[in-house]
Amino acid sequence: MVGGNVVHTRSVEGIEGQGRIEIRDLWVRFGTVDAVKGVSFMTYAGRSTALLGRNGAGKSTTMRVLAGVIPPTSGEVIVNGVDVRRDPLTVKRATGYCPDVGGLVPRATPWEHLQLAARLRRLEGWEDRGRDLLERFDLGDAAQRVTAGFSHGMGRRLSVVLAAFHQPDVLLLDEPFDGVDPLGVEATLEVIADARARGAIVLVSTHLRDLAMQACESALVLRGGSAVASLKSEELMGEEGAGAYRALLD
Amino acid sequence: MPTELSWTEFRQAFGDLRALLAFRSSGLARKNRRRLRIGAGLVVVLTIAAIIGPAYANELLDGKRAGTFVALLPSFYLGFCLLSVVSAAASGGGREVVPREQAVAFPVSTTVEHLGALLMAPLNIAWFIQGWTILGLTAYVFGPHRLPLVIAPVLIWLFTATALAQVVGWMLEWIRRGQQGIIVARLIVGATISAVLSLILLQQITHLLDKSPTVQILLVEDYGAGGVWWHWLLGVIVLVAIGLGAVLLGTVPARLALHRPLREELRLESSRHQPRQNPGSDLAAMVRVDRSAIWRSVPLRRGLVVLALTPGLVAVAGNLRWGTITILPGLVVSGGALLFGVNSWCLDGRGALWRDSLPASPQLAFISRVVVLAEVLLVAAVVTIVLATLRAGTPTLGEAAALACATVVVIGQVVSTSMRWSVTRPFAVDMRSARATPAPPVVMAGYSARLAIWTTLTGLIFSGLAEVDWNYSVTFALPMLGWSVYRLSRTAKQWAVPEIRSTVIATVSS
Repeated sequence: MVGGNVVHTRSVEGIEGQGRIEIRDLWVRFGTVDAVKGVSFMTYAGRSTALLGRNGAGKSTTMRVLAGVIPPTSGEVIVNGVDVRRDPLTVKRATGYCPDVGGLVPRATPWEHLQLAARLRRLEGWEDRGRDLLERFDLGDAAQRVTAGFSHGMGRRLSVVLAAFHQPDVLLLDEPFDGVDPLGVEATLEVIADARARGAIVLVSTHLRDLAMQACESALVLRGGSAVASLKSEELMGEEGAGAYRALLD
Repeated sequence: MPTELSWTEFRQAFGDLRALLAFRSSGLARKNRRRLRIGAGLVVVLTIAAIIGPAYANELLDGKRAGTFVALLPSFYLGFCLLSVVSAAASGGGREVVPREQAVAFPVSTTVEHLGALLMAPLNIAWFIQGWTILGLTAYVFGPHRLPLVIAPVLIWLFTATALAQVVGWMLEWIRRGQQGIIVARLIVGATISAVLSLILLQQITHLLDKSPTVQILLVEDYGAGGVWWHWLLGVIVLVAIGLGAVLLGTVPARLALHRPLREELRLESSRHQPRQNPGSDLAAMVRVDRSAIWRSVPLRRGLVVLALTPGLVAVAGNLRWGTITILPGLVVSGGALLFGVNSWCLDGRGALWRDSLPASPQLAFISRVVVLAEVLLVAAVVTIVLATLRAGTPTLGEAAALACATVVVIGQVVSTSMRWSVTRPFAVDMRSARATPAPPVVMAGYSARLAIWTTLTGLIFSGLAEVDWNYSVTFALPMLGWSVYRLSRTAKQWAVPEIRSTVIATVSS
C-alpha cells in the first residue's frame, strides 16, 4: 500500500477497454523539499477517487503532475496510456483541471476563458454547453464580467466549469468545494456524477471529508508526501470514519 | 481616538517603516543582498563622480559653455520636480514598500505608506539620471572651489522636490479616488497638457522658465561659491524647511487618498465586456487574453499613456532635432517594459496554472507574450515619436531611417531582455493597484538601470547614424536585431523546459 507498491483505489480492477491513471513511485522535489515521496496508485475509468490529507501532504502537487503542469522528478505517471513526462500535450487534452489556487486569468471574463479553452481543445458548437454550465453554477449573469472582481466562491465554481467544460476523460478537481455555497457544492457533485456516468476518471482533492465521501467511492490518504492508506468511502463515513481518518493523519 | 495625524504616529511610523523594510529584505537571498550592497555602493560612487568629474572639467575646459548652463539650471531643477510629480501621480501616489496583499495582515498606517512611497521614489533610473545631470551641470558651472557649499543646496533640492512631488501625487490620487474623480483627474491632466502646448505655441515657455522659483536655488549656490555665508545658510535652511514641511504635509493627502476606495480599479474589476467572435487561431486566442490583461489593468493602462505622452511633450517643448529624437524610443520602450514586461507571466496571476493545463505548446504562449509586449511598446514609441517630430520639420532619409531602426532595435533589445528576466526571475505580484510594480522596488531599480543604459547607448549610436546615409542605419540595425531574435529563441527554449516553466508558473500563481 505504501512506497513502491501500487495502491489500487478500491474498485473493481478496472473496466476492460477503458482508460486508467497509473502512478508508480512518483517523486516531486522542489529545491531541497520533497513534496511527493514515492506515491503509487492506480485508478480506472468511471471511478471517482478522493485525495485526502493534511496541508503539505502532496495532494495538490500530485494533481498538478497529473494535469501536466509540473513534471515528475522521478517515477512514472501514465494517464490513459500516455506518459505525462513524454507527451504532456496529449495528457492535457485528456484532462480537465481545476487548480487549488485561483485558476482564473484576472482580467478575462468567464466567456473569454471558455473561448480560449474551446479554441485550444478544438471544440465546435460548444456555446450552448458553455452557457448551460455557467447557468448550472449560477454564473450566467457574470459570464461577461471580468473575473478579478469575483468572490472566492464564484472563482471556485468557474474553475470547476472550466475543468468540466470539454467533458474530459480525466477530471481533476483540487479543492473544488473550498468556500463554495451549497448550490455550488450541489452543482459540483452533479458534474462529478456526470463525469463518472460517462466513464471519466475523477480525482478530487479536498479537506472536506464528508463531501469527499459524498462525491467519491474511494479515497487515498496522503501524509508527508506519501500514500498511507486506500479506503472505501463507507470506511470514512460518520463518527467512526472521522476517527479512522484522524488516526491516519498523525 | 484616531491618532493617524499625530506626532506620536509620525514618530512611530519610522519604526514601522523600518520593520516593513526588514520584512521585505528578509526574503532576499544572500546573493541578492550582496547585489544590493554593490548597487548601493555604485550609486554612491557614481554620485561622487557626477559631482567631482564636471567640477574639475570646468578648470580643464576653462568653463566653456558654463554661461549657457547657468541659464538652463533653474529649468533643470524645475524639470526634476515636474517629472517627479508625473512619476508620483502615475504610480497612484507612490510605490508600495510591501505589496498590498502581503501588508493587509499588518496595521500599516497611511503615514507609513507615505514615508514608504517617499523612500521608494528615487528607486528608478530616471530619478538618478536627472539627479546626476543636475549635480554634474551645477558642479561644472561653479567649478571645484567651495564645491560642498555649492552642491549641498542641489542635494537638498533633490529631496525637497521629491517630497513636494509626493504631496501633489497624493492629492491627485485623492481626487482620482473621489466621486467622478476619474473624469476630474482626466480634465486636470488635459488642461495641463493644453496649457503647456499653448505656452509652446505662444513661445512663452522661455519667458515663464526665467521666472521659475528654482532660480533661488541657483542664488543659494552662488552665495556658497562666493562665501556669502549668512545668505547661503538662510537659503539652505529654507530649502530644508520646505522639504521637511512637504514630508509632513504629505501625510494629510496620503491619508485622505488611502482612505478612499480604489474606484477605478474596482470599476475595471467589475466591468463587463461583450463577447467577441471566437478567435480564428490558437495564437489569436492567446493574444486576445494577453491583450485584455494589459488594457484592463489600471497601472498598465495609465503607465503606458504617461510614458507615451510625457517624453513626446518634453520633446515638443524642447524643440528636439531628428537626430536627438532617436534617444526617445529607448526611454519609452524601457519604461513600458518596466510596467509589466520584466515579469510578463505575472499578467496571468493565479490563472497561470489553468492556462498551462490547456493543450497548447509552450512556444505558443511564449510567442503570444512576445507579440503583445512588442506591440504595446511599439504603440507607445510611435505616439512619442509622432509628438516629438511635430516641430522637427521634414527629415532626411538618413534621419528617418535612423529613427525607424532605433525604434525597432530597442524594441527587440527590451523584449528579449524582458522575456529572459520573466523566465529566470519570476515574482508573484498582484497588478491590481496603480502602486504595484512587477518586481520588488530594488530589483526594479536594477532593471531600469540596465535597460536605460543599453537603450540610451543604442539611441546615441543611431543619433550619430542619422547624420549619414540611410544604408548605415539599416546595416547596423540588422545584426542588432538578429542578436535580439537569437536571445529570444534561447529564452523560448528555456521556457519550453518543463522544470523551468513549472517554477515560473508556480511562482507567479502563488
